[in-house]
Amino acid sequence: MTNNPIVKGKLVCVALNDASQFEAMQAEFNEAPYKSAPTQPVLYFKPHNTWSTEGATVEWAVSEGQAAESMVVGASLAVVFGKECCRVSQEDALSYVGGYSLVHDFSLPELTYYRPDIKGKCLDGSAPIGSVVVPVSDVADPQALTVVTQVNGETVSEMPVSNMVRSVAELISTISYIMTLQPGDVIAIGFPGQRSPIKQGDKVSSAIAGVIELNNVAGRV
Amino acid sequence: MKHARVLFNGSELDVTVEDSFATTGQLKSKADGQLINEADVTWLSPIKEPGTIFALGLNYADHARELAFEPPKEPLVFLKGSNTLTGHKQNAYRPDNIDFQHYECELVAVIGKEGKNISREDAMDYIAGYTVCNDFAIRDYLENYYRPNLRVKSRDSLLPIGPWLIDKDDVGDISNLKVTTHVNGELTQDGTTADIIFDVPFLVEYLSKIMTLKPGDMIATGTPEGLKDMQPGDKVVCEIEKIGALETYIVSEQEFYGDKY
Repeated sequence: MTNNPIVKGKLVCVALNDASQFEAMQAEFNEAPYKSAPTQPVLYFKPHNTWSTEGATVEWAVSEGQAAESMVVGASLAVVFGKECCRVSQEDALSYVGGYSLVHDFSLPELTYYRPDIKGKCLDGSAPIGSVVVPVSDVADPQALTVVTQVNGETVSEMPVSNMVRSVAELISTISYIMTLQPGDVIAIGFPGQRSPIKQGDKVSSAIAGVIELNNVAGRV
Repeated sequence: MKHARVLFNGSELDVTVEDSFATTGQLKSKADGQLINEADVTWLSPIKEPGTIFALGLNYADHARELAFEPPKEPLVFLKGSNTLTGHKQNAYRPDNIDFQHYECELVAVIGKEGKNISREDAMDYIAGYTVCNDFAIRDYLENYYRPNLRVKSRDSLLPIGPWLIDKDDVGDISNLKVTTHVNGELTQDGTTADIIFDVPFLVEYLSKIMTLKPGDMIATGTPEGLKDMQPGDKVVCEIEKIGALETYIVSEQEFYGDKY
């Protein structure tokens, strides 16, 4: 069903978790269609057709026979569950983590957060995940990690996990009260608020220094 | 043919549901033909390896009016996690401290063949068959971000599905099937698939332009008007003509989660 070796069941992504983006959008949150700022984590699924791997070339989006004008990419720390996780406290949350990896979310530019973005976020192969799960014993504190993304060798974003609205432990706890997470389920805990624009053929590489990296190429139509 | 999956003596079993089931209450094992009494099984979701679960919002003209929305010009599609699935005659829970939880009786088209860029004309070749789901929603949790958000629509047990998957050819035309819900025996939802705005062929074309559809993917096609709040103790039956009647029991959050509550 998928050539991805890590995600088994669900890939849950968290949007609007970059604290600087969240701050900058306060005025917009108060206007239509949102009317007020989100009180809960803003979540979306990347379904199984999107799961892909380290080294993969990611298909460029095509709509009505035309290549999409632009795509964007963001990278997130990926929390991979090692055991069933149902209704856990923040204090216990990290003990359900089997390990960590990286996720790239390739998508069409994010114009609105009002409706589920199936067109923009469910493109085939648009969620590559690192080739390995780094064991929790190798990561003393996930909050101390920083995800750096380069496009064609140039750094386009640096996202410290500590700059997110909600911590890894808080997200695991909150999400586990909505849905039971199973071994092999993954949460992508947050992306840079400004996704990076890419062109066909661009090389996209992300890394958590000394822990893991993920390298992909934007395909050509 | 009707295909179901059940738990019997601790093992998952593929069974068929013959016409005689209505009178005998017996299911037939696909492996060895053994007849099994319904009383001895737990019904499971009929889709063995669930793929992507697509669901439609505001896809019946009457329901869109009921919620005071203009009928959409483009399908409102959202995704649900496989944690939401449960079988026929199982419990679904009402979260604590909420004001409004409602059922949604929906026709589900199940994909049987992988495809991308499928035309409307060819769409039905990619459908294996149909089932019924009850796409519960917790209206208290709605927020205007990726609405309807996962907290509303992706909760454990809140997508009962079944009782079985019926082959497409055994149903034939799906464009005017009665869609009804009974709560504790009272008729609360009484619609027809004739009021669907974006039909199954349209949705297969629309979704497969965006992404590859794969066997086990499901499209829950939306619900007609007739919303009603649910309480623990309620029995809800969602029925679609020619397909089946799906029965669900509402329990409290504490009863559902037991030791994990």
